[in-house]
Amino acid sequence: MTSRRSATSTDLLVDLVTNTADPGYAAAAARRGPGAPRRWFDRPAVVLGCLLVGFTFAIAYVHTHRDAPSAAKVHDDLVARVKAAQSSGNALEAKAQRLGTEITRARDHVLPGTSLGAQLQLSELLAGATPAVGPGLQVKLGNPPQPTTTPDNGRPGSTPIGGTEVLTDRDVRSVVNELWHDGAEAISVNGVRLTPTSAIRFAGQAVLVDFAPITSPYTIEAIGDSDVLVTSFADSEVASRYHTLAGANGISFSWSQQSKVHLPATAAVTPRYARPAETKGPR
Amino acid sequence: MIAGFALAVGVIVGLILRPTVPHWLEPYLPIAVVAALDAVFGGIRARLDGIFDSKVFVVSFVSNVVVAALIVFLGDKLGVGGQLSTAVVVVLGIRIFGNAAAIRRHVFRA
Repeated sequence: MTSRRSATSTDLLVDLVTNTADPGYAAAAARRGPGAPRRWFDRPAVVLGCLLVGFTFAIAYVHTHRDAPSAAKVHDDLVARVKAAQSSGNALEAKAQRLGTEITRARDHVLPGTSLGAQLQLSELLAGATPAVGPGLQVKLGNPPQPTTTPDNGRPGSTPIGGTEVLTDRDVRSVVNELWHDGAEAISVNGVRLTPTSAIRFAGQAVLVDFAPITSPYTIEAIGDSDVLVTSFADSEVASRYHTLAGANGISFSWSQQSKVHLPATAAVTPRYARPAETKGPR
Repeated sequence: MIAGFALAVGVIVGLILRPTVPHWLEPYLPIAVVAALDAVFGGIRARLDGIFDSKVFVVSFVSNVVVAALIVFLGDKLGVGGQLSTAVVVVLGIRIFGNAAAIRRHVFRA
């Protein structure tokens, strides 16, 4: 009794490790005595127990191995849906542009050579609703080449440090703003024309220009007086900053003067709330 | 012999039926698996010791699962479910290893 009372927690652990057999078996054997006859439920009980055990194993196996493929399936499904939506969006945009050129042609047909038509064309050009051509500047900004990371590096759902984008919307925006400041008249980013309502934002790991996701390398094209654009841009703080970053961070950054830059049109956004304020004629 | 046969039948039935585990039951699945392994190794050892008892086998398996699940359920309610789940797995794992060692001594006499 005294030895029992002095039992400490270490004894408990030793007991746990040394007495691994279920004491129930020994107790049952002692109760029944040696050479006890078989009881009627012995065999069915063993069968039932083994069935349960096997069933448990199978459930666990199926449960573990079913989740992974279904997750991959959901992922593939989502990717397919995104791609379908993107292609249908592209098709709709192309259709809108085609219809827009048709409208322009029809209007030119109706209002040939009037000052009203010319005025309209100028407004459309400013709004980015018609393709634009002219001399200008092309700036290229690219993420550093991805270091080859081992797959499954870290927990699922987390982004490895190497996978994060170095360039974000801010970088694209600062280059665009600098180009506006240097006198650009029309700008496109990766083939997306900027309009007065354009926004350059960041979502997840993609830069969004007017909700169109674009990826590195970012090509920013601007139309303007190309000499002025090049000299002003080369002098700017933005250019020197990205030169420094290109040396330190491995991003690619270059610009070149272009004698002819083609900028695409975007489907014009029709203002729904804004309307021209009543202007009195010149008195 | 018949035990191994029943085990195989249980596995096959499980693979054919492919039952979906309800969400609330998921945390208890690992415990059930470890308890089942413990029951199997304990049963084999008792058999080799010559003291196997079918009633003890079934009752110990079922009660182990139920008690372990109950402990983890209580732990979940009190905010220590993960730790208690680990504790159950550790304790049953030690028993599994001990029983496996006893079986090894029986089979290889080493």
